[in-house]
Amino acid sequence: MKPMRVLVGAAAIVCMVAVGPLADIAPAAEPYPVRPVQVIVPFPPGGVADLVARPLAAALEKLLKQPVVIVNKTGAGGAVGMQAQAVAKPDGYTLMVALSSISVMPEVDALFNRPPVYKLSDFAPIALLSSDPTVLVVSSKSPWKTVADFVADAKKRPGEIKYASSGVYGTMHVAMEMLAHSAGIKLRHIPTGGGGPALNALLGGHVDAISGGPNVSIPHIKAGTVRVLAGWGDKRLPALPDVPTLKEVGYKDVEFYIWSGFFAPAATPEPVIKALREATAKAVQAPDFKTAMEKMATPIDYLDAPDFKKFWDRDAERLIKAVRNIGKVE
Amino acid sequence: MEATFHNLILGFSTVFTPANILYSLVGCLIGTMVGVLPGVGPLAGISMLLPTTFGLDTTSAIILLAGIYYGAMYGGSTTSILMRIPGEAASVMTCIDGYAMARKGRAGPALAIAAIGSYIAGTLSVVGLMFLAPPLAKFALGFGPPEYFCLLVCGLVVLSYMTGGSIVKNLAMIVFGLMVGMIGIDQMSGYFRFSYGIVALGDGVGLVPVAVGLFGISEILVTAGSPEIREVLKPRLRDLIPSKQEFKDSIAPIGRGTVLGFLIGIIPGSAHIISTFVSYAVERRISKHPERFGQGAIEGVAGPEAANNAASEGALVPLLALGVPTGPVPAVLLAALMVHGITPGPLFIQEQPVVFWGLIASMYVGNMVLLLLNLPMVGLFVNLLRVPYRILYPTILLFCVLGVYAVNSSLVDVGIMSIMGVLGYLLRKMDFETAPMVLGVVLAPIIEFSFRQSLAMSAGDYSIFIQRPIAAFFLVIALIMILLSLKPLFIKKRDWRERLTEAQKDA
Repeated sequence: MKPMRVLVGAAAIVCMVAVGPLADIAPAAEPYPVRPVQVIVPFPPGGVADLVARPLAAALEKLLKQPVVIVNKTGAGGAVGMQAQAVAKPDGYTLMVALSSISVMPEVDALFNRPPVYKLSDFAPIALLSSDPTVLVVSSKSPWKTVADFVADAKKRPGEIKYASSGVYGTMHVAMEMLAHSAGIKLRHIPTGGGGPALNALLGGHVDAISGGPNVSIPHIKAGTVRVLAGWGDKRLPALPDVPTLKEVGYKDVEFYIWSGFFAPAATPEPVIKALREATAKAVQAPDFKTAMEKMATPIDYLDAPDFKKFWDRDAERLIKAVRNIGKVE
Repeated sequence: MEATFHNLILGFSTVFTPANILYSLVGCLIGTMVGVLPGVGPLAGISMLLPTTFGLDTTSAIILLAGIYYGAMYGGSTTSILMRIPGEAASVMTCIDGYAMARKGRAGPALAIAAIGSYIAGTLSVVGLMFLAPPLAKFALGFGPPEYFCLLVCGLVVLSYMTGGSIVKNLAMIVFGLMVGMIGIDQMSGYFRFSYGIVALGDGVGLVPVAVGLFGISEILVTAGSPEIREVLKPRLRDLIPSKQEFKDSIAPIGRGTVLGFLIGIIPGSAHIISTFVSYAVERRISKHPERFGQGAIEGVAGPEAANNAASEGALVPLLALGVPTGPVPAVLLAALMVHGITPGPLFIQEQPVVFWGLIASMYVGNMVLLLLNLPMVGLFVNLLRVPYRILYPTILLFCVLGVYAVNSSLVDVGIMSIMGVLGYLLRKMDFETAPMVLGVVLAPIIEFSFRQSLAMSAGDYSIFIQRPIAAFFLVIALIMILLSLKPLFIKKRDWRERLTEAQKDA
């Protein structure tokens, strides 16, 4: 019984860690893939990247006829996992699902005069998987009914309206500062440890507004505890048809998405990239993947590599500008 | 009231299908296992199993995953008591007296009390969850950064007053822990602090490698360095069952641990860990024989073990009542619900009665299963101590390395664990307590962040801490504790610290 128990435990752990080292044997000009593929998720389980990556991995597994294993390599707001991907062997056996924050980090490093952890050119885009604009959420007890009310009030008392974010230079911070810059207002930023705590801070009345993901905000909108004033997308959200976009109400240069994309290391051979692009194109059409994404209320927004590259370049430009406008946080 | 029972019957009718009972059982079993393995906590366990639940219906999936969560709190005590290695971060306090009991040949009772305490706390907390979820959840949201900061200040004052041994050495260890806790990205500005270019240190040093290193690895090193060959204990049945006295001593701590754990568990953050520290400190403070703590006091096992179970269920209150996760594990459970097309929110209980009441009922069943699972295993686990050290300890070392690596797939974590192991060995050779240091590492980031968030909210005005009632309440308690600790300066009376010193001289 006793050695049995230890054995079972040992087997479980060995299975968990064995997939890492396996990916180190390099085959020469073999058909791809011949062994398990590892997908790095630089964020903890249960986050947007993780929830998109898991059904994707399941769909790819069937197409590539090899196990596709998710590895949550977390830390430093995703920098640890993204760095691991940047230096991974470019053989197509270490891939990554990352979020829009990938474009922000090198710029933040530059801001602090430290060597960048990775460069955007370290990655080859395979596909855009999902994109979701954030929405401006305020407490239903607040006096603001429209963005105009909000902005007018913020102009009256600069630096007094508080908003919470998922973290400094995180998605919720950058999005809100983009609006603040465009509207010429000053808001007070309270960083928290993630999207969940930021929403809690709003619900608890500790801050006045957030720029949050629509899928987690919708239940609270239905319950009447919060109100949505506007969205950051270029068109209205299907789930919130009455909510205008910030572009509609006059902030033409404000556009922000929490998107997830599929990446390979930059030096990955062309045939491997091609195989991955083809498999991903099929995977996003798979019924299981579609249902999984639907259930999470995360809209699939598939773009193949060339279009994704264009989308990414435009998005990165916007984000880098926003980070420069924010500058160093005191 | 009547509606509640009607709903509960609905819940039980959901659970009492062969499939759902099986999922509850499997969840509890896996939970116990991840709890036993050092490093691999409920977070890792749940996230690894999350994808396998995609095919299940929602209720079964959540029953399975929740089983892993509270099951881990049972398992975490096992290695703490037997080997001084916290199987789960919330079992750090159990290491102190649990292991001391094991060295005196009372491992059986310690394990049994841990399981019984967990059961009582687990079951009572489900009752609390059932009746109090909606009002308590509102209270939890009232906890903003200022309240959190004041709670922690109050906690630190209480703890430093109550920890045994040399006050100077303890304070030194707390401060050292706080300093280690400063490593990492400054969450307010994005600066890297003391990370020396190692990106993985951006999130700071993790609690798991620190706790496993300071407690577990250092114990292995100490044992390897000591010439005495401990006699192999042959446990008889009599030694496995807690004595009448031990039962009597445990009842009250279990009760207090349950209430404390549940209430603290509701508060956002890694509260289940804090609840065990607080419970231990309270037990020690109100004990008539505080000098027994650290030497194998059963109360020091019963209180914290009840607290961590109650807290793990308390943490579900805000998730289920409001749809707001308060820690990493509830966040993964939220994700699991979302994968199944349910986004918990304020209307969750009304809109999804089958899922909510099914979960509640499954927790009654699960806690029963865990008790039945863990009590017979006591004998089995105690036998583990009969394995010769030359085989047992290298095996434990291997598990520590694998477990710590598995949490983040990070070699840096393994490095931290090794350094902390050597450090822990040196500290213990010099008679420093390692528990205060772990406490410092846990609290440093939270206390600093909540302090600075508060000041950001008030634009630098310190009065925010006394203007808000809950925050002010905690500060007043802290002040009273400080005044109490000054009392001996004015009134000459032997307090327990002196009795402790005398007791140690006699030994």
